[in-house]
Amino acid sequence: MELDANAFGRSARKALLDKTLQEALGRTTGRFVAHRDAAVAAFPEFEATRERASRIKRDVLDHLDTYLARFIGEAEKRGAIVHVARDPAQAREIAARIARDEGVTLAVKSKSMAAEEISFNEALQGAGVTVVESDLGEFIIQLAGEAPSHIIAPAVHKTREEISRLFERHLGEPRTDSIPELVGMARKHLRAKFLSAGMGVSGGNFLAADTGSVVLVTNEGNGRMGTVLPRVHLAVVGIEKIIPRMADLPTFLRLLPRSTSGQTISSYVSILTGTRRPGDPEGPERMHILLLDCGRSAILEGKYREILKCIRCAACLNACPVYQSVGGHAYGWVYSGPIGAVLTPLLVGLPEAAALPDASTLCGACADVCPVKIPLPDFLLELRSDAREQGLKTPGEIAAMKGYAGVMKRAGLLEAIERIAGVLGQFFTKGKGIGGMPYPFSGWTERRDFPAPAARPFRKRWKIKRGVMR
Amino acid sequence: MTYTTGMDPKEPIPVSLFFTCLADAFSPGVCGATVEVLERFGATVRVPLSQTCCGQPAFNSGNRKEARAMARKFLRSFPDDGYIVTPSGSCAAMVKHGYPVLFRDEPRMLARARAVGERIYELSQFLVDVLGVTDPKSDFSGKVTYHDSCHLRRGLGVVEAPRKLLRAVPGVEFVEMEESDRCCGFGGVFSVKYPQISCKMTERKVERILATGASYVTSGDLGCLLNIGGLISRIGYPVKAIHLAEILAGKTAGRWDAG
Repeated sequence: MELDANAFGRSARKALLDKTLQEALGRTTGRFVAHRDAAVAAFPEFEATRERASRIKRDVLDHLDTYLARFIGEAEKRGAIVHVARDPAQAREIAARIARDEGVTLAVKSKSMAAEEISFNEALQGAGVTVVESDLGEFIIQLAGEAPSHIIAPAVHKTREEISRLFERHLGEPRTDSIPELVGMARKHLRAKFLSAGMGVSGGNFLAADTGSVVLVTNEGNGRMGTVLPRVHLAVVGIEKIIPRMADLPTFLRLLPRSTSGQTISSYVSILTGTRRPGDPEGPERMHILLLDCGRSAILEGKYREILKCIRCAACLNACPVYQSVGGHAYGWVYSGPIGAVLTPLLVGLPEAAALPDASTLCGACADVCPVKIPLPDFLLELRSDAREQGLKTPGEIAAMKGYAGVMKRAGLLEAIERIAGVLGQFFTKGKGIGGMPYPFSGWTERRDFPAPAARPFRKRWKIKRGVMR
Repeated sequence: MTYTTGMDPKEPIPVSLFFTCLADAFSPGVCGATVEVLERFGATVRVPLSQTCCGQPAFNSGNRKEARAMARKFLRSFPDDGYIVTPSGSCAAMVKHGYPVLFRDEPRMLARARAVGERIYELSQFLVDVLGVTDPKSDFSGKVTYHDSCHLRRGLGVVEAPRKLLRAVPGVEFVEMEESDRCCGFGGVFSVKYPQISCKMTERKVERILATGASYVTSGDLGCLLNIGGLISRIGYPVKAIHLAEILAGKTAGRWDAG
């Protein structure tokens, strides 16, 4: 997916003015938050479970090489072919080669953020393969020629009117505002694709190291149909999705659907282990697992290791007031919201995405809901500090900070400045708020007043009333 | 150490006031109100006059070199014993949680920062958790709603203390707003870097405040109140943003009006 993260400010302003988007965002994030909160409230073991999940993931990250080797061994023992891609370019090469070698011309794909990371569809199209998105949301945005704006609800920014218009234009269907009818149209169109596709492509929510299984957690059934009907199954998964044992899966299944949509369990949980064995009624004849490093082992070695605990539930997006205000596209890459503000700079490089860590008030709502206890606000702060160290801050900001720190060195100097500002402020505003400030505070006062400094700061009042020594 | 409410404790309770640079410059009345409330419950208030800013704006914007200099200055300004109380959840959280990050590679400073972090309290937290205040003895009256500042609620875990105090003021009709724990959009440097998003969030906050029909919105952080109050004053809504300390001080807050 094309990277445009540093345009966050501009894209966000555009999003704020987009009425349709605002309406859709308000409706859906509100619903997600309410459902998630209700599901967590009805699950008293939530805290203990997220603590356990966090511990399991930490153990995985501490011994990732061992668990990966185990996973690869177990998966290959069961007939899967495992590939590891160092970077997106290599991942695209491998994916295209698999499709070519398997003689695939049509692939059905269920949703995968990992696949977005490597621009999977473009890679296959380059190899002459038609890729059809089979997740309803992904299907819609593929028709619209857009990128997903939410991890689990990729078309969250589209209204049913827009969707009906797309179906009319691309599928020749009549206009309707009935959601079941729209779903029926997509299903009819997709069913034919499922039956003729040579390859099904999926992501993976978990990889169980002790059985070599790929676990898919979905609601629409397209994931299962796409992975068992076609002759070939290709799973594209980040290396951090490993869990040590199949027995750990229930811990994560208790957390993921609740955090995502407020469901106690998703409609489908598919555990895909190896190729079809003699006597199996269904399953792929060939199974490829493409594991993505793509920057992950570099993250593993540094101070942001815990970001790799993420299970992509999107609870942090839904809870984030900034995401709620601007939606996912403003973040300019695959991942949005607080997880995107941390993960994007780490995966693509901070210079390419330094605007994102600033896109947060540090309110902490994300850390409150994270089911694996990732300290997102701490990481945002850490990235802002890295930006300074890597010389990515504007000279203006650094000069302002140095000036401000210089004043704060001496209370006497601060008081003198406060008193001058107080006199000027009171003179010009007559004690009311300031309606217009110069850059860089001009944005602040566009729709808000800025307070006028007091004529006499507290320090002075205290000295007058109580004396210096008290 | 818990003191019985309403009784003059035998031992004076030494409290150093960390008045915050924001209140010092923009709302000195809030600092005065804090002094009044602390003294009402037996504290001997000291005001270290060399204090300036805890360094939070620099820390939050990633400018740690400058933040560290301010943190050192803060640690030098305050005495080595007694409580430190501040009318700001955000500034208290900075000292408690931010300083250990700033000094993580300096063991001696880290130990000092942690020790100070143990002694620092936000006002409502100090009144309820340390002094055991159940009746703030305030003569304030009006319909009040409360905004949870993010750093007071999530940073310090203070949720109930301010509500308990507000409910205990006889003249206060306390009413909860919806989404009281949703960020008001201030975020310090955030409101300067992304003012349009910030404003969008503030507008939603003000909508929730207006829906309560309260005459006052209060909070434990002046940053939020300046932000919310700035929008209220621009439009001219019939509600006033006022600091919790001013409600608790009631009429005695007027003693510091010498502006």
